[in-house]
Amino acid sequence: MQRRTFLQSLAAAGALSALPFGARSEAAVASAVSVNNLPELAGDLTLYLGRGEGGLYENVLQAIRQRNPKLNLEIRRGATAALANTLIAEAQAGVKRADLFWAVDTGSIGLITDAGLAKPLPADISSQLKDGFQYPSWTPVTGRVRTLPYNTERLSADKIPDSIMALADSDLSIGWAPAYASFQSFVTAMRILEGEKATANWLRGVNRHATKYAGELGVVMAVERGEVDLGFANHYYTLRLKAGKPDANVDLAFTRGDAGCLVNASGILSLTDGDLPFNFMRYLLSAEVQAYLSSEAYEIPLVNGVKAPQGLPPMASLTPPELDLRKLADLRPTLGLMREVGVL
Amino acid sequence: MKTAKTLLASIAFGLSLTALPTVVSANGVVTDQVNHLKAHLGEYSEEVSWLVEKYDGVVTTYTKKGKQTDTQQLIDYWEEVNFHSAIETQYIPIYATIWQGIYGMKTAIEEGADVATLRAEQSKLNQALWQALGAVKVAAHYQDKGVIAKVQTTEQEPTTAPAVIDDIEKRLDKVVAKYAEQLTEVATTMVHDAYLQRFEGIEGALIEQDADLVEDLEKDFNVTLPQALDGKTSVDKVRSIVETMKNKLAKARKLLVEAEQNRKDVF
Repeated sequence: MQRRTFLQSLAAAGALSALPFGARSEAAVASAVSVNNLPELAGDLTLYLGRGEGGLYENVLQAIRQRNPKLNLEIRRGATAALANTLIAEAQAGVKRADLFWAVDTGSIGLITDAGLAKPLPADISSQLKDGFQYPSWTPVTGRVRTLPYNTERLSADKIPDSIMALADSDLSIGWAPAYASFQSFVTAMRILEGEKATANWLRGVNRHATKYAGELGVVMAVERGEVDLGFANHYYTLRLKAGKPDANVDLAFTRGDAGCLVNASGILSLTDGDLPFNFMRYLLSAEVQAYLSSEAYEIPLVNGVKAPQGLPPMASLTPPELDLRKLADLRPTLGLMREVGVL
Repeated sequence: MKTAKTLLASIAFGLSLTALPTVVSANGVVTDQVNHLKAHLGEYSEEVSWLVEKYDGVVTTYTKKGKQTDTQQLIDYWEEVNFHSAIETQYIPIYATIWQGIYGMKTAIEEGADVATLRAEQSKLNQALWQALGAVKVAAHYQDKGVIAKVQTTEQEPTTAPAVIDDIEKRLDKVVAKYAEQLTEVATTMVHDAYLQRFEGIEGALIEQDADLVEDLEKDFNVTLPQALDGKTSVDKVRSIVETMKNKLAKARKLLVEAEQNRKDVF
């Protein structure tokens, strides 16, 4: 099947909204709350913070500190997966040092919720979130969507399949970063949705006409240079490249309803009962923080009523697959499969 | 070799940067002694004199035994002294030059070079050792005044873009040091880690400022430098690539600072 859902047409299609995010009735939807309406934070909190997008998460935390002088916020930083493993090890040892865990990927969240360490969320937190992103014991903060950046000099949008699986059999040259964590999460989603055999065949098929890059920004830049026709990458690399180079020969296409347009998320959970950790979460979901991460980091706000980053179609026009994001924690079989077919 | 004036300026610049984030050297854990340099300057001076004497002894042995001379002792002597950690944590560029000098002597012996060639290599090593002692004395002076940060005993994550750039520059200096130490796989892994754990975190913001600069650095991290770390490229050539990268990183740092100043407030 051919399709051409790309930036401009998606923006128009978004208004039709015959898509999964438009299903909830307006009456049941709560929107983002301003920090002006949130309680002051006071007391001690320890946050384990996975590496974020440059210093922007740090800016958010600094702003929260400045606004709440009675908050004593201790932060332990590290790779998200390593922090998740630390939390589990600490729990097994009967030690609890962290009150909150802010992870840059949902797989690590899954490790903690599966271990039963996350506390249930108050209902008002979940009710602010877009449909499909409401979970009982953790909340997404911002999202990122898998995309197909393509070279606009070498390719027109109508030549790109709207099925991720169809790309394995196409004659397009492809850039990918198999060692990259986001790519591996995407393959995990494909494995869960399509099965091991289909995923192995897809990896073999793409590998025949793919060029490897170290990271997904490298993929997008290779697409822009015309080294390959298209690539696999999270949306923000292309948007940031176009922000710095508006005439860049790259645009975004999306697949429909499969792992190729998976929306993954950063997320936060509480390991401690009480109001303070949940009130802290409310700051991250506030209208101001969501708008900041959207405009400055090009991340997708997942709270209702906050605009998506410039250059990305409305969330309502995207068709991510239905998938409990915590299942992306099951990475080991994915790595085994990728090694087995020779792409790692 | 740098002139003394240039060297001192470089040291002062190097010391003005944040303390090294990594505290475990190839030869063990760095002790807290590196935070009390002034108290150990006498010991370090004695160690450098001892090293110079030992390396001179190796040359004397070579005049008698030729290629049968045990070259492992060149490394063992260096790893035996506490001064090793002092320079590794305070001024990595000279730390790399010392390893370059040690392997210069080692190679000359193993290849059966004439004594004059070996003496020339010994002279370069001696010069590096005395320069290193000078660097540690400068560091002790600034440490005593509280100008430079303590060497951290635990890994610290840089939290701002300039801090990330500083951290990358330190890591690249260590790449040269490890390459000079002939630990090519370690050096290559360090380049990959510097890219994946550090540069990737800032390149999204940087590409908004200068896409060509990001492309250039991407190539350096992923192609130019890893390919140079093949065990055949000279240490001087690897050092030159790193210096070029550091110039580009300095430009990146300036752009990121300017971008941060123009960023809107969260609240």
